[in-house]
Amino acid sequence: MPASSAASRLDTRYAAETPEGIALLLRPAGLVPRLYAYSVDVLIRVVFFSVAFVFLAMLGRLGEGLALLLFFLLEWLYPVAFELGRSGATPGKRMLGLTVVMDTGLPITPAASLTRNLLRGADFLPSLYAFGVLSMLFRRDFKRLGDIAAGTLVVHAPQTGAPAAAPPAAPARAPAVALTARAQAAIVAWAGRVARLTEARADELAEIAVPVVVPRAMGGDRVAALVGVAHWLLGRR
Amino acid sequence: MTPLQFEARHAAVWNELEAALEPSPRQRRGTRAADRARVAALYRAACEHLAIAESRSYPVWLIDRLGALTARGHQLVYAQRDFGIDKLRRLFGVDFPAAVRAHRLHVLIALVVFAAPLLVVGVMSYLDPGFVLSLHDAGAIDDYEKMYGDADGPIGRRTAASDWAMFGFYIRHNIGIAFQCFAGGLFFGIGSLFVVALNGALAGSVAGYLTWRGHGENFYSFVITHGAFELTGIVLAGAAGLALGHALLVPGRRSRLAALQLAARRAIVIVYGMTAMFVVAAALEAFWSSARWVPVHVKLVVGAACWIGVICYFLFQGRPGRSRS
Repeated sequence: MPASSAASRLDTRYAAETPEGIALLLRPAGLVPRLYAYSVDVLIRVVFFSVAFVFLAMLGRLGEGLALLLFFLLEWLYPVAFELGRSGATPGKRMLGLTVVMDTGLPITPAASLTRNLLRGADFLPSLYAFGVLSMLFRRDFKRLGDIAAGTLVVHAPQTGAPAAAPPAAPARAPAVALTARAQAAIVAWAGRVARLTEARADELAEIAVPVVVPRAMGGDRVAALVGVAHWLLGRR
Repeated sequence: MTPLQFEARHAAVWNELEAALEPSPRQRRGTRAADRARVAALYRAACEHLAIAESRSYPVWLIDRLGALTARGHQLVYAQRDFGIDKLRRLFGVDFPAAVRAHRLHVLIALVVFAAPLLVVGVMSYLDPGFVLSLHDAGAIDDYEKMYGDADGPIGRRTAASDWAMFGFYIRHNIGIAFQCFAGGLFFGIGSLFVVALNGALAGSVAGYLTWRGHGENFYSFVITHGAFELTGIVLAGAAGLALGHALLVPGRRSRLAALQLAARRAIVIVYGMTAMFVVAAALEAFWSSARWVPVHVKLVVGAACWIGVICYFLFQGRPGRSRS
């Protein structure tokens, strides 16, 4: 389906081709979910550091040194450690269903993870991540400066076990005319969504197709008739 | 073939792949090569099915399922799991010194930008002790005076803080500055140049002032050992940042974006090594440099040895002929 220019300007999906010749459709995550994820991560770190500090404070000067060390690790290496883990995301990102990948769709490499997280220093300038936010707002793939240099992408993790929206049961019936592949796909896709549409909306959409597909289905249930055609197209004959 | 036939024929493969992708750490950790080969084979089959399903305009839910399946399989099949001790040995044995030599132009510029303010400000502070007040406030100068004077406490400390507290402070403070210096390279190198020059000037002013005050022996015996790692480290951080800025300014035959990404991939090796140098410097600064029980001449000899060692490391370590032997 050739995407019109308007659609390609609106759609932020990002196709990364794999060596197997398929296009992975990555969905870059925008400013808002990333901001939430960052806030969660900050909160986790603050709580963790505060709890640790209570215990380290008992150790006197040694504890002070260890606390500073811990602060350094939390400040710079906390994201790196989690991004290189199995989920490829910090706890905050995981909570929002985000993950960090290379912009080729590959899992993130240690070098790229370190690059994007050290360059936070540049994103943070002049203050409060102003450059990072501007960069994300101006780009379709929502990369901050660190992501640009490291070649990484923060994406919405692909959902697992997406609801298999098969059309509701209806007696199969053959279409009245030969249908193009696109028309077939559209009817089947509509049938898969019927369960989630209101009756009125399903009927309204069916009205577009019914005269062509089932001319003799007057008076009867247009929706059921068209769902039947979808079943026929799927192979129940 | 209708979509239903297609689904019926291949569902077994998809279900098996789905089960294999289910995150169960206990099970995954014990996977053998045979299992991974199986997952790879299933993944390739699913890729093929996705391509077929797309070209035949099969229903959306089928394509979505296959798309999600292949996306997760791709992450697992191509995951890099090869950072071990060998990689680390290679990093410090070959890659890091080689990367520094490959960036010799940037190192040289960073060195000049660091050393020039250090010398100029140092000499000015020595000749005109009032000048130091234009860089530090009087309270800080007073502190330096106490730190490097002939008092009883450890050298270079505001208070008799324990070594560990200072170790933590040096790690957090110094490596934080170095990382910011690297990040500053993203602004066409200007940020890196600024951080390097500023640190050069600050170091020069303190050195010049304390020399004029006659605390030179304490001061230089304090800084010489860890300086071998710390001063080199800040220059290398600047060089890594400059490499980014250079790629943005003069991308050559690549797009600016591609040049930046390539430069970052190469420069990050320097950042790895530089970070390790700062850790060494922090340990030396906290546990060795400040110790008053070590005679001054021992510190100077050890410090000189460190400088020679560091310089030789960057000049000779990991050259092709040597790494093979």
